[in-house]
Amino acid sequence: MSSSQETHFGYRDVPLEEKQGLVDDVFHSVAKRYDLMNDLMSGGLHRPWKNALVTAVNPPKNDHPFALLDLAGGTGDVAFRVAEAGGIGTHVTVCDINAEMLAVGRERAEKRGLDAQVTFEQGNAEELPYADRSFDCVTIAFGIRNVPRIDKALAEAHRVLKFGGRFLCLEFSSVDVPGLDKLYELYSFQVIPRVGERVTGDREAYQYLVESIRKFPKPKAFAAMIERAGFRRVSFTPMTGGVVAMHSGWKL
Amino acid sequence: MSAIPSTERPANSVDPKLLEILVCPLTKTTLEYDSTRNELISRKAKLAYPIRDGIPIMLPEEARRLD
Repeated sequence: MSSSQETHFGYRDVPLEEKQGLVDDVFHSVAKRYDLMNDLMSGGLHRPWKNALVTAVNPPKNDHPFALLDLAGGTGDVAFRVAEAGGIGTHVTVCDINAEMLAVGRERAEKRGLDAQVTFEQGNAEELPYADRSFDCVTIAFGIRNVPRIDKALAEAHRVLKFGGRFLCLEFSSVDVPGLDKLYELYSFQVIPRVGERVTGDREAYQYLVESIRKFPKPKAFAAMIERAGFRRVSFTPMTGGVVAMHSGWKL
Repeated sequence: MSAIPSTERPANSVDPKLLEILVCPLTKTTLEYDSTRNELISRKAKLAYPIRDGIPIMLPEEARRLD
């Protein structure tokens, strides 16, 4: 592996091996108020986006075994939605690289009585600690753009999926509705970092989040990356004028 | 409701189902559970992954080296 490779940390170029540490710092500082911030920043829209994801995951309502791996979902938000939508055969494994985010998630799982249905492990999306063909579905919601080597994470997601399994990814996308794009720009750069500072005390963390959204590949380019990782029937669905896209690929 | 919930496991134990899917992230080989140290051992990578507050820490940089 070359040490001279660089990647984006928001708008800054940083050595590839330094990005993870910088991303860790962002989530350490915001973990406890992460879901509250999602509500504030998206005006509550992250809920319908995540509900659309759960609908696509489509966990069985009965005792039929269904194993979901939710990547970068430390606080358990997606995991609990799927566990509650599914039957008693549904089990969710949450894998996140950040210990603080996982601690928040595990505490919430216990409070909701979902600790038997949802388990938490600390791991790196680029180097998953799961056997080949372990899961029926792999999800990642607003996490993939924080992964330094996205191609490695996609290859790992493909490896741990069973044949016939589906990969689903929610991520901020590019707004292409005239007028809305200007408004979104203004909101992103003027409002979000300030609200972030007020709520979590960390303006830089939210400056990073906003910049990282702009640096993430356009939906067609990201779909091509998913295809290169071996997925088939790759597609994406823009939501809310392209603020977010849901990407899908199957292991066939 | 019984005084001792049946789902409660002793502090140093691990769900056997977990060991079916968990592997060493480096070598992708199966792990052994060491109940005395509460660690998951990868013989091939010579690493012991800690379990803290019931959460397996499957990061090589957090693992203890075995000689």
